Amino acid sequence: MPQGELCNRKPIVTDEQLKLTLSDKSGKKYYAEMLELDVDTNALWATIQKTMKARLKTWLEICAHCGMCADSCFLYQVNDCVPEQVPSYKIQSTLGHIVKKKGNVDNEFMRHCMKVAWSQCTCCNRCGMYCPHGIDMGVMFSYLRGLLYSQGFVPWELKIGSGMHRVYRAQMDVTTEDWVETCEWMAEETEEEWPGLTIPVDKQDAEIMYTCNAREPKHYPEDLAEAAVLFHVAGTNWTVPSEGWEQTSLSMFAGDWECCKDNVNHVYDAIERLNPARVTGTECGHAHRATVIEGPYWAGREDGLPPKPYIHYVEWLAEALREGKLKIDPAKRIKEPVTLQDSCNYVRNQGLKDVTREIISYIVEPGYFVEMAPNKEHNYCCGGGGGFNGIGMYREQRNVALRKKMDQILDTGCKLVIAPCHNCWDAIRDLEEEYEIGIRWSFLKPLIIGMLDIPEGMRVEW
Amino acid sequence: MFKKILLATTGSPASFGAARVAFDMAKRYGSEVTIFHVVGVPTKAFSHVVNDVRTGEEVEVDEEYLAWVEEELKTTFAKQFEGADNAKIVLTTGVPAREILREARKADSDLVVMAASSGENASFHKGYPGSTLQKVAKAARCPVLSVHRESASYWGGFSNILFGTDFSKQAESAFKFALSTARELDCDLTIFHALDISGKVLDQNEIEENLIIARKRIRETYVPLMGDFKNYDIEVWEGTPYVEIVKLAREKSVDLVCLAHHTNELDPERARIGSTVEQVILRANCPVVSVSKPDKV
Ligand code: SF4
Ligand code: SF4
Ligand code: SF4
Repeated sequence: MPQGELCNRKPIVTDEQLKLTLSDKSGKKYYAEMLELDVDTNALWATIQKTMKARLKTWLEICAHCGMCADSCFLYQVNDCVPEQVPSYKIQSTLGHIVKKKGNVDNEFMRHCMKVAWSQCTCCNRCGMYCPHGIDMGVMFSYLRGLLYSQGFVPWELKIGSGMHRVYRAQMDVTTEDWVETCEWMAEETEEEWPGLTIPVDKQDAEIMYTCNAREPKHYPEDLAEAAVLFHVAGTNWTVPSEGWEQTSLSMFAGDWECCKDNVNHVYDAIERLNPARVTGTECGHAHRATVIEGPYWAGREDGLPPKPYIHYVEWLAEALREGKLKIDPAKRIKEPVTLQDSCNYVRNQGLKDVTREIISYIVEPGYFVEMAPNKEHNYCCGGGGGFNGIGMYREQRNVALRKKMDQILDTGCKLVIAPCHNCWDAIRDLEEEYEIGIRWSFLKPLIIGMLDIPEGMRVEW
Repeated sequence: MFKKILLATTGSPASFGAARVAFDMAKRYGSEVTIFHVVGVPTKAFSHVVNDVRTGEEVEVDEEYLAWVEEELKTTFAKQFEGADNAKIVLTTGVPAREILREARKADSDLVVMAASSGENASFHKGYPGSTLQKVAKAARCPVLSVHRESASYWGGFSNILFGTDFSKQAESAFKFALSTARELDCDLTIFHALDISGKVLDQNEIEENLIIARKRIRETYVPLMGDFKNYDIEVWEGTPYVEIVKLAREKSVDLVCLAHHTNELDPERARIGSTVEQVILRANCPVVSVSKPDKV
């Protein structure tokens, strides 16, 4: 059968199509159409031949099926160690099979692949550290997702997510006007308490340009206000771009490569237009991975770097604390057992493990910080990475996946978890909702604001 | 002065008193009422599932669900809708306090009316501590009127207004609002200060002295601002501020208490809505309006 009205090989590029797909409750019609969706096997094979690089081919070939990667995968662990969850099995039985068959696979197989790609791997890249050959299933699954997306076999929410990026250039329907208006609103609301605070839009040559996650202006504009407070107190000459402010990329989770490139170029254009000395984003892991770690390659930048040094929020924060631009009042430090969630996307993928601990050293009374085990680059995914959090169809599997993080947190005995990654924050919130273990969780911004030693006259109390 | 009223409601019985006051005011003063309801708090990352504000259950927001909620609200407020030609329903999703503030700003509302407690559901409130009213009262540019009980002695129309002051900067705005309301609606206005002696050891002479000082301060601060407005009294009592405000309100059959929102608590999560205001809201028999900004007064 040909293409469906909602489920098809075409990306969502218009507002109408987006609304139409959104109005399909739980993707009922979408998934019904998927049952009938034909596979363009020729196109599939052509894409593989064109895009599958030597590394992936080699990986598929050299896998010794030794199973040493099994234990590294949290999904294997929480799913009773069933063989279907062994990383090498997951990829060999999906991508490996498609390649072996030269793309000659049917609808049922593609749907099976979709399930594996989005509900049995969060692209957390942990297995890659444990395979003796360095074979990284996270990378391979990202590639497989791309193939599946190009054939229309992608979960409903992610089809919409990447559609949002294409239509609004944000993961939610936040337009340029909405965004600028939110900046004005937050500046106005915050300025009363912090005289002189501004949220400068499109300022040229600032010290730092700030980008964020569209969920913030949409639902939690306080986060933007908090960023503004910290920049203000630190005396930073900063700006936000009116266009190119959305740093996240659901298209990366969806496997919509074309859209990934478009997203990141949009941010890079803003950097080139405003010419800041540096750029930083919000407390988000996947946004950072998309714009800073993978983005340069999507954009085809030869040096593999964004146009200007682009640091994660934790790096900016650590620097401001280190240099004394932000001072912590020792009396206000955290004096209860507290633990830290290491986000796969900027810890394992970029090595930012020490800098977060440096922040901890300023804000937690010595003796109260409890590490999760394992931690740093060995930490497990929060359980909701790679888009898992948002996919209704795999909610049950996602809830099982949350158990690893739950156990890790319970083992620390802490009631407070610092999660400087938007998606981890969501996952931890969901895990509390699901399992009620009595924990609290927080981003860094509000914690730090509550602990600041504020210069005289900078804050008006009322 | 009450051209645009934003009635923020959960549709639960806890908000019926607020709804009654809002609609009564609208009819009496020809205002436009927007019944604003946040259907749910976004959850599960970027999915389209929200926790229903009333039941706490997960629902998927689509046309059908929205139509259903709208119908429910219409039925709930059917009586009020009668004769209110200038009323409309607006539904949205999001974190309630934020969305109420967003709408008030967008619509340039003159007054936000809401219940003191929304019958909050614990499950979606984890991670969003602090009450909706508190956040709205603190950040709204317009006065925020809260009605705690359905039985609030509001018989329609205001005739006696009690303005309580702690002489803070915000109290100036609250005073302006109280005065212009009193002027416009031809009410009696009582300007009141409660000398806070709770937890203090003061001898009687000292108390008397302070009462005289406070009285003088009221005269100096507020009387010059009243021009030809004559329907006012000044009262200064000692005690615990909220208790005295509630007592006086009862004694004088006040039908609107006007206070400034103020709090010294820096942590917004912990800052109760200025404990005096909060206590008055809970205990008074009439609507309480909290004013924190100089706009819209
Ligand atoms: S550890 Fe590496 S080589 Fe061994 S099965 Fe896993 S992917 Fe294959
Ligand atoms: S990338 Fe993560 S989730 Fe995927 S197979 Fe490897 S360890 Fe498991
Ligand atoms: S949400 Fe956080 S922990 Fe989970 S995969 Fe993403 S970065 Fe890693």
